[in-house]
Amino acid sequence: MSLLPYTDTKPKGAADFYFGINATFRFMLRQFGEAGFIRWLTEMGHGYFEPVNRIWREGGLPSVAQYWREFFAAEPGAEVEVHEEERQVVIDVKRCPAIAHLKAHQRDIVPEYCRHCLILGQTRAEAAGLSMQLEGGNGSCIHRYGDAGVLTQDADAVREVS
Amino acid sequence: MLGCYDFCGHYDWIFNWLKEQGGTELLYQYWDEAIYGDSQQHAAELIGSKGLSGMKEYWGHTLEEEAPAGGYAAGIVGDRFWMEMNDCPSRGFLMRNGIEFSRDYCDHCLGWIGPMMKKAGFTVNHAHNHCGQCYWEFMPLQNSGEPEPSIESLKQRLLREWDGEKMETDRFEQANDVCKKRVNTQGQ
Repeated sequence: MSLLPYTDTKPKGAADFYFGINATFRFMLRQFGEAGFIRWLTEMGHGYFEPVNRIWREGGLPSVAQYWREFFAAEPGAEVEVHEEERQVVIDVKRCPAIAHLKAHQRDIVPEYCRHCLILGQTRAEAAGLSMQLEGGNGSCIHRYGDAGVLTQDADAVREVS
Repeated sequence: MLGCYDFCGHYDWIFNWLKEQGGTELLYQYWDEAIYGDSQQHAAELIGSKGLSGMKEYWGHTLEEEAPAGGYAAGIVGDRFWMEMNDCPSRGFLMRNGIEFSRDYCDHCLGWIGPMMKKAGFTVNHAHNHCGQCYWEFMPLQNSGEPEPSIESLKQRLLREWDGEKMETDRFEQANDVCKKRVNTQGQ
């Protein structure tokens, strides 16, 4: 059974939608500033993603691992390994599909692009009784999910896109 | 991470969020600035420089990527480009998954396509029935107003079908602005 709350008839999404996501980040930052950008993503983490948060709350770390495997399998161009370690899930994003597609099309990527993964990841992890940490960015990164309060975030660990 | 697989889901959620923050005015600003002016700059460049053949090229690529199983038809007749969508991959995704965060999801297309076409020198005839079906006709801004028979026939057939099924339809006639919508509940 799929852990993705919403499924499509085609196996992978259309990569040009990354253009829309990048443009939306730019619009939100310009319209609402950094604080508004964080508020928007936090509300999305609690709102749009609540079906995923519920799955994670009920299924714990194994469901987090399965969710991300299925998620990245549906993202075109993703090269990702998901490891289940002792009380921790490590998502090793070797090739971020969004950054790769945007760079391949010479798009002006918002420098804060990778921050959305941290804001959404931490919001959703907390809603599920877990913690989340992100390191890297600009095309490759490592996400970690663990029990509540275990993972802490280094403020400088998320790179800007350049 | 925000993914492209369920893009239409979070896109629809964003529409509702923006309406809550600043009403439809802010939502329309988002479609104009972020989608037409930024995300879809490749479409604007293609259609702005190549006109009808650019439309064919843009939607050829986009629909192949978003709707590989088909469910649409498109073509050029004279000085016009037309499309008929029978199974919209975007609205269809929402319907199959029971997603309805915003009331008028389908308006987003006119919201960015309208201003893009105006810049390229075209105006738009369009209608949708909120159930994954719509038609489009792009014609020069300076047009005679005379209907093109084969496209007119397509439009009338679809409108008759939708009215017959008592569907609420949103219609745009020679429009480039999403505010120009006329809601038709005649079929209900």
